[in-house]
Amino acid sequence: MQMLIKLNFRIFLSLAAILLLTEGCKKETDFVYEVNDVKVSKDKIGKGIPKSTVEFISIAYSDLIGTTISQNDLSKVTLLYLAFGDKRLIEDLLIKNIVNSTVVNIPTDANMRADINAFVNSTYLKLFNREPTEVELFTLNKQISENPSITSKLVYYAMMTSDEYRYY
Amino acid sequence: MSKFIPRRNFLKKTALAATGAFVAPYILPGGRLFAATGNRIANHVVFCLFAGGIRNIESVGQERGNLLPSLLGGAGTVDPIIASGMDPLPGTPGNSLKSQGTLFRQFRYAQGPTGHFNGHSTALTGNYTLQDLSIKEPPKMPTVFEYYRKHSSPTQNALNAWWVSNALGPYPSLNFSTYPSYGALYGANFVQPLTLISSDGANALSNPIDLSVDEISKVNEMRNNFNASFSKSGIYGENAIVNSLADRDLLQNYIKQQLIDGVAGAFNNPWGVGASMNDDMYNVFFAEKIIEQFKPELLVVNMQGVDIAHSNFTQYCNNLRKADFAVGHLWQTIQNTPGMANDTILIVAPEHGRNLIPNTILDAYGQPALDHNSDETSREIFCMVVGPPGKVQQNQIVTQITGESIDIVPTIARILGFDQDVPGGMLPGRILNEAFI
Repeated sequence: MQMLIKLNFRIFLSLAAILLLTEGCKKETDFVYEVNDVKVSKDKIGKGIPKSTVEFISIAYSDLIGTTISQNDLSKVTLLYLAFGDKRLIEDLLIKNIVNSTVVNIPTDANMRADINAFVNSTYLKLFNREPTEVELFTLNKQISENPSITSKLVYYAMMTSDEYRYY
Repeated sequence: MSKFIPRRNFLKKTALAATGAFVAPYILPGGRLFAATGNRIANHVVFCLFAGGIRNIESVGQERGNLLPSLLGGAGTVDPIIASGMDPLPGTPGNSLKSQGTLFRQFRYAQGPTGHFNGHSTALTGNYTLQDLSIKEPPKMPTVFEYYRKHSSPTQNALNAWWVSNALGPYPSLNFSTYPSYGALYGANFVQPLTLISSDGANALSNPIDLSVDEISKVNEMRNNFNASFSKSGIYGENAIVNSLADRDLLQNYIKQQLIDGVAGAFNNPWGVGASMNDDMYNVFFAEKIIEQFKPELLVVNMQGVDIAHSNFTQYCNNLRKADFAVGHLWQTIQNTPGMANDTILIVAPEHGRNLIPNTILDAYGQPALDHNSDETSREIFCMVVGPPGKVQQNQIVTQITGESIDIVPTIARILGFDQDVPGGMLPGRILNEAFI
């Protein structure tokens, strides 16, 4: 009886090995669905939620300094917001100050001009959390190329005070 | 008795419309442009909310001596019982404000709870807060700033309208209302200087990137492109006032300069009163800076240091003297500011009073403290209207019960010439005509 069980087990193993070998050698079928590959990222049209004041300050600080703002500093800046009626003015002034900080984490002008397309792409991804459209890439590239006075800081300042940066 | 501001009747409208085509706006020597229909008493109003809750007993009643020498004149002799609790203050130069205007000695905060925010809201909207008042929302009725900006002709920008508050909390929301067709578009520039012009403010805001005209142009061009490809506009349209880009630059430069001056120590002892300088005085000091810089047509500034009366009566009297000193200083600054001197009317009034019966807390001088719970005494206040001879009745005291808190907005509207343009039924108060010639 025990002999019979061993024999059956060997037969089972042999069949399994044959099955695996034949399946493993089978050529893979390539299906073509006639659509292009796309990278999934945040769509600007899908941005509908405005950042709160706290979110705006925290995200702006992280984007420009590269570290998280401390809770103490966040509270102080939030109070400054409350102390003036024109919030947009205070935001603008705050961004101008962070951009001008000595510890700001913005590519140098030389880096920007060495590969403007790469700079535009990376800046859109960093600040708008999406890639630029072809038109946006072309337009900003053209502006930077044709205007030597445009610095990387100016680009950051303009993007961070735009309407889109206020949403996520 | 109806207290509604009379609407321009049909005949008057028709007459103005008929003549409007022929009456061109004119320009005063100072360069100010008026629409011909804006019949003004003066071109600037400063409204000082002498707030925090002040009883007539201690203010105009002088039961504890003369705590208001700048307003009322005379020596500032204080009740000997509390005199040693008073901080030293120099005398205010010039004549008393009373001698330069009209004192309504029996003014009233006639209705609504005697809460500080209720009182402020009433004074700024011209309507009592008889229903629930949310401290997290702007007032339901338009503020004086909105009436001014919407109904002045030509329309005024926010640089001409300021709300300078001593505190945050609910007070920032008093620069505009949620009333349909008014709101943030016509709001005032709100500032709480004690928070903004501070070391924290200097750390965060005093070192902006300096941009040339060309760089600003480039930034605007880039920003316009970013905005053009994004479907949503700025989020602040209905939630906050927005100055024009040109005015924003002026304001940013102003804030930056104040912060730099503060870091340099310019605000350490600006009035030469040393340690006597309290937050109320600083708030008025920064209001003076705005007056000197922007010469606004309408500025409201408040003080609330006297609210210490809940626990310390003697300090209440001390802060009352400081508030008086601050108003005197404010008037001097106005008179020393070209463009506002002799063309400004100053209105001074508490938001409400305090109770007749004290609470049980005694201060170091054995004086009982005072709350404000809507008894009759807490509704008794004063109002002073100060201005140039020929426009404001000088050295006049109205002793009978005359005027109330809701009359201040209509009076400001009359001074600045837009009273006839406020829609009927919105302002239940009346113009304090007794004060004017």
